Amino acid sequence: MSVLTDLIIRARALLFRSREETELEDEVRFHIDRDVHERVRRGEVPDKARREALIAFGGVERYKERVRDARGTRPLEELAADIRYALRGLRRNPGFTATGILVLGIGIGATATVYSIVHSVIVADLPYPQSDRLVRVVEQNSATSIWALSTADVTAIRERQRVFEAWGEIQRTEVAYSGSGTPQHIVIGRASAGYFRAIGIPVARGRAIEPADEAQGAPPVMVVTDAFARRTLGGPDAALGRSLSLDGVSHTVVGVLPEGRDELGGIRAVAFPVLQLRAPTRRGPFWLRGVGRLKPDVTLAAAERDLAEISDALLPLWSDFRDSTARLTPQPLRDVVVGSAVKQVGLFAGAVALVLLLAIVNVATLVLVRASAREQELAVRVMLGAKRSRIARLIVTENLILTLSAALLGLGLATWGLDLAVAQLPDMPRIQNASLDWRVIMLGIGAAVLSGLLVSLSPVAALSDEGGLAPHAASRRTGTGQRTSAMRAAFVIAEFALAWPLLVGAGLLLNSFVRLQRVDPGFDPAGLVAVGLSLPAARYAGVADVLRFRELAGQRVAAMPGVESVGLTTQIPPDQSGGNDNFNLVHRPVPDGEAEPNSPWYYVSASYFSTLGIRIIEGRSFTPADTADEFPVIAVSRSWAEHYLPGESAVGRQLVQGGCYNCPRTTIVGVVEDIRNLGPSLPMDAVYGPMSQYGGRSMQVVARLRSMTPNVTARLRDELRALDPELPLDEFVLTEQLQASLADPMRWAAVLSAFAACAMGLAALGVFGLMAYAVRQRRREIGVRLALGAQSGVVTRLVVWRGMRYAAIGSAIGLGVTLLLANRLRTMLFDVSPTDVATFVGVGVLLLGSAFLASWIPGRRAARIRPIEAISSE
Amino acid sequence: MPPESAIVQRTLEMLVLKALSLAPMHGWGIGQRIEQLSKGAFQVQQGSLYPALLRMRRQGWIRSEWRVTENNRRARYYFLTVAGRRQLGIETAAWDKAAEAVNAFLRTQALEGNQ
Repeated sequence: MSVLTDLIIRARALLFRSREETELEDEVRFHIDRDVHERVRRGEVPDKARREALIAFGGVERYKERVRDARGTRPLEELAADIRYALRGLRRNPGFTATGILVLGIGIGATATVYSIVHSVIVADLPYPQSDRLVRVVEQNSATSIWALSTADVTAIRERQRVFEAWGEIQRTEVAYSGSGTPQHIVIGRASAGYFRAIGIPVARGRAIEPADEAQGAPPVMVVTDAFARRTLGGPDAALGRSLSLDGVSHTVVGVLPEGRDELGGIRAVAFPVLQLRAPTRRGPFWLRGVGRLKPDVTLAAAERDLAEISDALLPLWSDFRDSTARLTPQPLRDVVVGSAVKQVGLFAGAVALVLLLAIVNVATLVLVRASAREQELAVRVMLGAKRSRIARLIVTENLILTLSAALLGLGLATWGLDLAVAQLPDMPRIQNASLDWRVIMLGIGAAVLSGLLVSLSPVAALSDEGGLAPHAASRRTGTGQRTSAMRAAFVIAEFALAWPLLVGAGLLLNSFVRLQRVDPGFDPAGLVAVGLSLPAARYAGVADVLRFRELAGQRVAAMPGVESVGLTTQIPPDQSGGNDNFNLVHRPVPDGEAEPNSPWYYVSASYFSTLGIRIIEGRSFTPADTADEFPVIAVSRSWAEHYLPGESAVGRQLVQGGCYNCPRTTIVGVVEDIRNLGPSLPMDAVYGPMSQYGGRSMQVVARLRSMTPNVTARLRDELRALDPELPLDEFVLTEQLQASLADPMRWAAVLSAFAACAMGLAALGVFGLMAYAVRQRRREIGVRLALGAQSGVVTRLVVWRGMRYAAIGSAIGLGVTLLLANRLRTMLFDVSPTDVATFVGVGVLLLGSAFLASWIPGRRAARIRPIEAISSE
Repeated sequence: MPPESAIVQRTLEMLVLKALSLAPMHGWGIGQRIEQLSKGAFQVQQGSLYPALLRMRRQGWIRSEWRVTENNRRARYYFLTVAGRRQLGIETAAWDKAAEAVNAFLRTQALEGNQ
């Protein structure tokens, strides 16, 4: 009750301040008049009566002031006054204000952007119920050698495991789908019933995959995403019961996922058809992703023990797999999904933190310089009776307004930056979820408040310094500087120290990018185009069908005008990693119980080598005689031969392929020159088998053209479509593929370079500001020196020398810090050591050079001071 | 902050409440009435009434209204609210109790002095 009255009275006092004042005025006037009236009535002379009345009242202004205090609006009114004063001050100095807001705004904007990404990519929980209990199981035989599961593995896990309450498998793959219009590839995840149960996301409509669907011969069913159902099936309700052809096999839609969900367990796909496993006939191949949901009280360690027992039980069952060190190993699913992004995002976050720190230090320097420029004004205020605490509050208010405006700008920049980042880093897992939520907004405001208080520290400290703002300081020109100039110097040193890691990081990444670009791919990509396709098993059931298609495709493309030659391969360079196989050399087998070596394995036509221009170094290429009925043959790359058969001729050697000890031995018939099959930074081991001995349905048709014409890929596509109009075709231009393989390193180098450029600019600005200020402060001293005959060159040198000293001290600290941090970049570098001397020297030269330039300008200005003016102007 | 000690302030508020309990009155009138009622014993510095009146208004014990006086001038009149009347009761009781305690204390002193 009284609280409400109180509030109303205070609010009215605040809102209708002038009316309150008039009323107070009226009330007091009435009181005095009434008193005078009374005294006159009692017979006093009017003049004396008025004097007496005023004495009896006891100081009109004093009590009015007490009434104002009693209103309880004082703190708010003072705050309003502070804000008005601060705004006026900021407006009067537009250069300072704009620089401060911009510098800090960019810092906060970058931080907010990166924090949103860090949160959604790394920190946020996976979007499944109790996602911390989800684990992926892999095969593993060393810290770095990890691979997928085989049918034999998952069969054993299904039968024997005791630690999961649900267990399932998924295979991510692409299939041909021609719903309406041109056939296309869509990404699907073939999933078991257990996979749906383990992930724990119920379908929105229809039903999930069930165990009965997994039986061989059961009608194929699938669950589709809501987006896919809306896009191509006429909505989620209409989708149920529809039949779709995937790779020529009809699948019935039985369920639709909830709206907005486009992935299950980290596998992004538009449809999830049933996974129907055949009984295993050997231990390999390894192609499945297994995910389990731990029972409530089971730890990861317990799961590891249980799976190790299964690994031991499995080993003796299959003769094709002899690696006794291979273990079924559980990994938290979160680590798998987040994966390598941690490292990249971590680099990003580290760089952005440095930039924010630099921005704060820079604004602190600005504020300090400005505070010194206002020393006189503040000293006068103190002299006129302003309390130090009130002045301190003024300074803090002003800086908070500055930093909060910067936060506003920064958050605006962040919405734009986030869009940019999401567009630029499409492959980063979960980046689509990044958004500026309340956490990021709080972070931005928190950063602003914190930096506002931080940058206020030094001017407020200078204020409480006894000698600092004593009234007589107003007349003293240079005395107060001692302490604040030490702080400014410390700030500049810090700026150089902070710039070092950023510049070195950017330098190393740029360096490594340049080296990557210089790597010789081993073939001439100019004029090479490729079309990738995959023959659906439903229409190309037998090997004969596949062989006939290949034959016809080769003939048709070779007959096209402008085509020089045609080759077939399973993968085109660079980056299309895929086929791998293990092998065991017959004359030099691996010891028992050890893993067989593993190599990239390609199947190519004989003309592939000539089409790409890959030289045959030893032995022969493939011939039409290398048919499926003959003994298997292979050609190996030079690197492979040097790696596995050092110092001996590879041709004629035999090996067991894929652990098939009952199969005929494979013979090496040729050694070919290396090419960068896996991209510029990876080893060039390669085994090539002849297409004619391979029944696989996926292939790339590669053609070398005499000259690139604009619509040549379209003509190539039409030529192949004439053979089979139902095939989805993917086209590639190899020069573009090579460029694309460098996009990632280029992006990281570009991002870090942008940060580094900011850092260098800020550091140079810092030293420039400091030296320019020092020259202005010591104008008179310099004038006296010049008047006494100092050479102008000496004066310039003096200023430059001082600026360089700060830069050098900062650089020494920065160098040390950078050496400690540099190793973290190692995995992102190619052919460059993290402590690359040239890069470090270059960064040193760049930073000290910019410091030289930044202090030379004020140094020149110092030398041009006219002694008479400088001395007399004081 | 007003320099009056808490005791003086509270006493002043009690006097104002008592003065208003008879009839609504403007600030000058309250001062006069306190002097009359106390037969000149309490000499209130008249200006100090106004901060006290505002504080009491914020407490909700009194409310104010601008009215025309018998001399045809506008003046701010103060009224006792229900809460104010209750507060006057509390204050009076507390005062009686305190006065009784002080009196008892003083009497004890006198007795001891006799022995």
